[in-house]
Amino acid sequence: MTDIEEKVCDCLVRAGSTFREDQKEAYRKAIAREPGTSSCWVMQQVLDNALVAEKNRGPLCDDTGIPHIFIEVGPNRQVSGDILAQIHAGIEAGLRKLPGRPMAIMGDDYHRIDQSGGLNPDSGALAPSPILIKPVEEDVLRLTVLMLGGGPAIRGITQRVFHKHSVQVVIDEIVARAIPAVSQLGCSPCTLAVGIGRSQFEATSMMMEAMAKGNYNVQSEFEQTITNRVNESNVGALGLGGKTSVLATFAKVGPQRASGVRIVALRPCCCFEPRRATVEL
Amino acid sequence: MIELTTPFSEEDIAKLRVGDVVSISGYIYTGRDAVLPKIVKHAEEGTLSEVGVDLRGQVIFHTAVSPAGVGPTSSNKLEIESSFEPLSRHGIKMHLGKGAIKPETVKALAENNAVFAVIPPVTALLESQTEEREVVCYPELGMEALHRIKVNKYQAIIAAAQGESIYK
Repeated sequence: MTDIEEKVCDCLVRAGSTFREDQKEAYRKAIAREPGTSSCWVMQQVLDNALVAEKNRGPLCDDTGIPHIFIEVGPNRQVSGDILAQIHAGIEAGLRKLPGRPMAIMGDDYHRIDQSGGLNPDSGALAPSPILIKPVEEDVLRLTVLMLGGGPAIRGITQRVFHKHSVQVVIDEIVARAIPAVSQLGCSPCTLAVGIGRSQFEATSMMMEAMAKGNYNVQSEFEQTITNRVNESNVGALGLGGKTSVLATFAKVGPQRASGVRIVALRPCCCFEPRRATVEL
Repeated sequence: MIELTTPFSEEDIAKLRVGDVVSISGYIYTGRDAVLPKIVKHAEEGTLSEVGVDLRGQVIFHTAVSPAGVGPTSSNKLEIESSFEPLSRHGIKMHLGKGAIKPETVKALAENNAVFAVIPPVTALLESQTEEREVVCYPELGMEALHRIKVNKYQAIIAAAQGESIYK
């Protein structure tokens, strides 16, 4: 393997197997807030699971997720076709090493839609999503791997909000959409990922960046307000009731249109997400 | 913590209450959307023995079995939740998964002295507690085939029992 392939491979394994320190701390604080409850028991299990997964460098969850790649490119760095090919090769190797759950559906358009083409048993056959690339001022070529599971994809919503020139209206709508999504997800406590943009593509890109860069120790007033209000729903861990339905909100607000509408992408990330790791290439 | 070993007796199950944390050991079955309707059909037609399955006193864990390990899928998916009543009637004592189930399912469990237990999706922990795994039938379904696995102290919480549910 090339140096880039090895780095990407290792990064993917870390993304699928490791909680970051701020993530562990968020769990410890949540566990301390409601001792002796069913929710507390679940969150302790999730944290213990993370410690075992990190030690074994094995999957946090059997739904190991679809690889999504976010790349930051500094002013003097380049992303060539050859580098993209090496990144793809590193992803393939990482999926085999983790190991990822074999989830690649074979066949033509119809076969892939109805799943009649069967599953490819090779973990490495799982294609990553299209890559998101962003220019940054820092002179780096930095890659983040996010492993996005199926449950949050089922419950995620990307839809317009008529804002009525009020941030409160937008927050109200995000909370209204988030509560049933968190409740139905099953694998709470969640981290809410929110992107706000001018189109579905832009809002989702903002949400991706929020997941790639969010930190449990750094919460804006906008993010904390959403977290607090969703936690009033008392969904709790695994829906068993409790104070912690949501650990945090990671939000990114992009450029906005001169219009009465905002496009909001919302993903109730499961109790392991955002599963992510970063490496400089 | 209530220690349970499969196969479960009627008495084992009758004493369980919502909110109890249980530790499960022994051989259990795994299956989800793809295979459970087939197992229900065998149960209703009296042909379970033809596919090497004996549901009496058993657990069905709603999971795939893949190289990545095991972990619960949502038990309220149509094909899974609709299996609760017939499989309980034919001997399953514990349905193991996650997510809220309907009141009519809670009632059907009680009528058959069966329970629903929720297990956190802790694949790394479960991997260290899973000792054997084998395909029982429908191998063409791959990770979604009916598997039998041997487990050691899986922890779960009773979410529906005796007509009560932990989900309000």
